[in-house]
Amino acid sequence: MANTIVWVHGDCLDPHGPALAAHPGAPAIWVWDDALLAEWRLSLKRIVFIYESLLELPVVIRRGDVATQLRRFADEQGATTIATAQSPSPRFAALSRELRHTHTVEVLPVAPFLAYQGTIDLKRFSRYWATAERYVFDKTAQS
Amino acid sequence: MRREFADRDDLIAYLRAEFPNAAATDDNVAETRGGRAAAEARLRQIEPQRYGKSRNFLTGAVTKLSPYLRYGVLSLAEVRDLVVGATREIESIAKLVQELAWRDYWQRLYAQMGDGIWKDQEPYKTGFQARQYANDLPDDIRDGTTGMVCIDSFSNDMRTHGWLHNHARMWLAAYLVHWRRVRWQAGAHWFLQHLLDGDPASNNLSWQWVASTFSHKPYFFNRENLEKYTDGVYCRQCPLYGHCDLEGSYEAIEADLFPNAQQRNTTERVPRRARRAN
Repeated sequence: MANTIVWVHGDCLDPHGPALAAHPGAPAIWVWDDALLAEWRLSLKRIVFIYESLLELPVVIRRGDVATQLRRFADEQGATTIATAQSPSPRFAALSRELRHTHTVEVLPVAPFLAYQGTIDLKRFSRYWATAERYVFDKTAQS
Repeated sequence: MRREFADRDDLIAYLRAEFPNAAATDDNVAETRGGRAAAEARLRQIEPQRYGKSRNFLTGAVTKLSPYLRYGVLSLAEVRDLVVGATREIESIAKLVQELAWRDYWQRLYAQMGDGIWKDQEPYKTGFQARQYANDLPDDIRDGTTGMVCIDSFSNDMRTHGWLHNHARMWLAAYLVHWRRVRWQAGAHWFLQHLLDGDPASNNLSWQWVASTFSHKPYFFNRENLEKYTDGVYCRQCPLYGHCDLEGSYEAIEADLFPNAQQRNTTERVPRRARRAN
């Protein structure tokens, strides 16, 4: 029995991603989001690309309602914690909120592109870049 | 679902059966392979210096890392580290790093905006109201049957390969929004169906940049610009050459496309940037 399962999602299909790295050997799962597929009507080539990426990861592949499938998998494994990588997606945020009703959700950050924690003006790229370029070439700050 | 397959054809046949709606949307399979091994192979082939000099040309040394970055198979940080760590001449790799930064920028905006990326961030600066744009993607653009060799080729390439050079994306987007006066959302959804690197934030906000709902002015182009950056491969075989809708000076096209715009802007003849390291 595992205390933690890893939820692999579409913003981090890296075998060295933070959730898989933090929980080596933990049961891991990918869930095809049937509602999302229906809404976006993705073409076959996108499915193939993702599936090929999944085949290099130590994941069980399922489909359906994501939260339901994740809970079911966690229960199968006897896990109380669902670990995953950070994502900016609003769907990810909604799913995480839903899962927190029944499980501990551990969201792990991916390596930052910028080693900068302060506020950045995002009104236009030029404003973002005015800050970002001061940090992004700094070899001493690399991850 | 299955994890063991005899070969790629076996996998594809399985996915066609499991995802019939996806196959009905479009049955093509790209030659680009998913996975970390393919990503690392691609990463070993990038040429940051050549990228900086040639990226706007369709034959330029683009990296084609974007599908792997989109799905986090590679992280922006590791690509940045590789590129920055490999040289002391920052200027020579600055353009590639800046294009990586565009993705970071879009992702930060996505975290702020959420599903708001589907809404116009600002009014169009074209002289038209949003309601004056058609809602649906025209069939001839979707099917690649406009008769314009460039536009039809971009449409066909995207559906076949799941990838387009960023400059081609900009031309196709500008043609749809400004020449055909279709809401950018229709094009954004279409791109997301097909592009292997289709990311809601990068995609939608780039469309808004072209449309002028997330920029100071609309992006448009002319035949001369397209011919230059494509080495004329489309124009040379186009029966509309010399009299297509893209023909004319920037000033003439601007006056034609945006007759109601309050202020005429000087449009860039060279795009300021490709918005992803494609």
